Amino acid sequence: MGPLIFTPPVRLASIHSPTANARPSLLRWKNLLFPLPFPLKRGKGLGVRGVLLALVATLFFACTPHQHQKNVYRGALGANLKTFDPAQASDSYSNQCQFQVYECLFEYKYLTRPYDVEPCLASAMPEISDSGKVYTIHLRSDVEFQDDACFPNGKGRRVTADDFVYSIKRMTDVRTQTFGWWIFDGKVKGLDAFRKESENLPPFPDSIHPALYDREVEGLRTLNDSTVQMTLTKPYPYFKYILAMPYAAIIPHEAVEHYGEEFLNHAVGTGPFVLKEWRRGLRLVFERNPKYHHGFYPTQGEPGDSAAGLLADAGKPVPFIDRAEIYIYQETQPMWLNFLRGNLDRGGIPKDNYSQAITSEHVLRPELAQKGIQLNRLQQLDISYICFNTDNPLLGGNKKLRQAMQLGYDVETVIDRFYNGRGIRAQSLVPPGLFGYDSTFRNPYAHYDVEAARKLLADAGYLNGAGLPELSYLTLANTDARQRGEHFAQNMAALGIHIKVESCTWPEYLERLRRKKFELVGASWQADYPDPENFLQLLYGPNAPPGENNASYHNPEYDALYQRMSVMPDSPERMVIIQRMKTILSEDCPWILMSHRTTELLTYDRVRNVKPHPVLEAPLKYYRVD
Amino acid sequence: MSSFLIRRLLQAIPTLLGITLLLFILFNLVGGNPVYHMLGKNASPAEIVRMTHQLGLDKPLWHQYLDYVGSLARWDFGRSWETKQRVTEMITDGLWPSMSLAIPAFIASTLVALIIALTAALYRDRWIDRLLVVISVCGMSLSMLALIIAAQYLFAFRAGWFPISGWEAGFTGVPFLILPILIWIAASLGSSVRFYRAVFIEEMHREYVVTARAKGLAWPRVLVHHVLPNAMIPILTLVVMELPMLFTGSLLLENFFGIPGLGNMSVNAINASDFPVIKAMTFIGAVLYITANVVGDALYAWFDPRVRVS
Repeated sequence: MGPLIFTPPVRLASIHSPTANARPSLLRWKNLLFPLPFPLKRGKGLGVRGVLLALVATLFFACTPHQHQKNVYRGALGANLKTFDPAQASDSYSNQCQFQVYECLFEYKYLTRPYDVEPCLASAMPEISDSGKVYTIHLRSDVEFQDDACFPNGKGRRVTADDFVYSIKRMTDVRTQTFGWWIFDGKVKGLDAFRKESENLPPFPDSIHPALYDREVEGLRTLNDSTVQMTLTKPYPYFKYILAMPYAAIIPHEAVEHYGEEFLNHAVGTGPFVLKEWRRGLRLVFERNPKYHHGFYPTQGEPGDSAAGLLADAGKPVPFIDRAEIYIYQETQPMWLNFLRGNLDRGGIPKDNYSQAITSEHVLRPELAQKGIQLNRLQQLDISYICFNTDNPLLGGNKKLRQAMQLGYDVETVIDRFYNGRGIRAQSLVPPGLFGYDSTFRNPYAHYDVEAARKLLADAGYLNGAGLPELSYLTLANTDARQRGEHFAQNMAALGIHIKVESCTWPEYLERLRRKKFELVGASWQADYPDPENFLQLLYGPNAPPGENNASYHNPEYDALYQRMSVMPDSPERMVIIQRMKTILSEDCPWILMSHRTTELLTYDRVRNVKPHPVLEAPLKYYRVD
Repeated sequence: MSSFLIRRLLQAIPTLLGITLLLFILFNLVGGNPVYHMLGKNASPAEIVRMTHQLGLDKPLWHQYLDYVGSLARWDFGRSWETKQRVTEMITDGLWPSMSLAIPAFIASTLVALIIALTAALYRDRWIDRLLVVISVCGMSLSMLALIIAAQYLFAFRAGWFPISGWEAGFTGVPFLILPILIWIAASLGSSVRFYRAVFIEEMHREYVVTARAKGLAWPRVLVHHVLPNAMIPILTLVVMELPMLFTGSLLLENFFGIPGLGNMSVNAINASDFPVIKAMTFIGAVLYITANVVGDALYAWFDPRVRVS
């Protein structure tokens, strides 16, 4: 687009030239193209005409839509990307982008369900000892880091087992200030002691690669150049998922040392793409990594994947696209309009535009289908809920009051009004798609029944709410959260319970959760890995604040069952334990269960191999753009 | 004149300190503990204590305030809690995109407003004047948000006359800026036109105008050569006072048109409770505002010696 804009002024220069009079045909031609509403004398009016021509030309090229290009994918991000440091990859946007550049030992299988992982930088799945505690992992010997200025001569070197150990140690280092330490906290022998020792290190950037890193950690050792051995404190069956999280991505120490505190602005990985451009607030551009040769399109899928054309590229080397442009949109309107215009290959459906895309029968509108747009639905591995502070004598000591409030909350209306029906009412804290989810499980209090709620409230000693003090509901200071809070307060008022909605900033919210300074709080949880333990730990007694058990819920039977379940592989016995845990929670009601949300995405049919995945949100290496 | 300037600059110091104190108190009251923001939900109590000490938050409040003023004096705004970038770098990055929109839009809107105001003044109390005043009032009454949403949908998406959103550095970026600039002009015309019109009408009733007309000069010549220069003092003052606003960028325009400027950055910071960025933008905005005030006063004093005497 750029050089073309300059073309008209160049032509105009010839009109200004002394020979212009000798070329009346050119002038006539331009008058036809850009007729002026007033006569201009030749020579004197050419300057004005030039300005007008330049303006019109600028507008013309401005109106030229982005031309769709083969092998170029254009996507959207709904918020600014924070960082490219894997240790800071705490949000889904960071995950999406970092997965394009960085890799872990394992990665999620793209097509098969239930969710599981397969080797990525590892050459095979880990060899696990009989005790379930010792993981021996062999790394591929043919993978190199992308070329980058941080390496000698700018040439990326081979990835070794030491790189994995370094990456985990750096993440463990207190000074890195990662949000992700919890994934290894208490799980790997000797790593907690390493973290403790790192507290005494001089602050960054005085010692970016301190001597401490060279000291061996008992549970994190290299056996040779391409073998690493991890020894766990307990046999965590979900540990393989942890090794597939972006926090555990392999980074080269050269990059951290070279870029220092600015490492967060650089991406030096082994993944299918390299970060070509990152203009914060505008766009990210990824280009094919010429040194990436170890990825192939999956050969196995679910029944129906083959018929859907999802296995047409089975076994072929990836990536298929040469370039990916990810545009950042702070507002939904420009994203939506750009998608409709065809400037984007994929996009979400903004809440305010929902009816323009989806009919009341929850199908894609025919006019969009005619444009070659497809609807992809994804059941998120999440739960939204309202948490009671059970340390509060009133709320913690009155189970019937909590049950009454759950029965009296019209969650279906919340799903309809605030999520456009994109979600299902939760019956337990385990979402669909995970082991432990049972679609037939019914929580006796997770439905809307005002009369039953009133009866329970009376049984609790508060007939029509009489004698009950005003309760506060804490939420974040954004419009959606406040609106949901007001809706909750309105529902409770119908029972005679007065709720005061308090909204606060994110830091204050975190602080109040940690200090248990709330009565009820609106919250949600998205799976870090596809194991029910990730959800059931949210109510495990020892995880009370400052841990994740914000309800400060404590039930000895639940805690004992959690301890057993958390170290068991998936099995019928584990299922029985999980069912019992869900039943205990249903009765004790430490949360008002709300919903498991569904995400809907629209994709033009020129993009192939699209299958939504809750962890691999944008697996660009598998996409093909025709 | 120099003593006047020195006096005004000295007066600006306590104002600036007052602003820093106000900012410090406000963000300490409502901001929450930054340590929780920086370390996330899973930090151990020991880590929280360590980080609190590292940030100097365990010092007495007066000490923290002095540290804060000291860092501002060094033009050190720290790092963003959200992106961990240096705030000064974030501001530098956002400055050019913001200015690429704000400067042409501001110049164009000022020129257009002056032309319309002159026309309205020239045809005072006639239908043209009334029409222009009505349009101005309508422009003032329309919310910027409504204007953006409607213009982006109608002119960019429906008509396809402009790109829907985006930004590029250099001349290739010109097409992306046209619609936001037009919206800026449309949204800002109302109040400017009314102000300029009032100034022109006041000037047009001065004796020198009557004299010029009596000498046989045509109205357009009187307006352009006599009225306009004399009306420049209040106009210039208004323009100077509006200049600091350009720095903060247009929050809505940048957000809707994907311009990675300071407005866009500020909105992100507000949404993410990224207080180092919000504090820096507020402080720099205040400094610029005070500077503009001093410059405005100086210009007034320059043009009108009575101000200096008083």
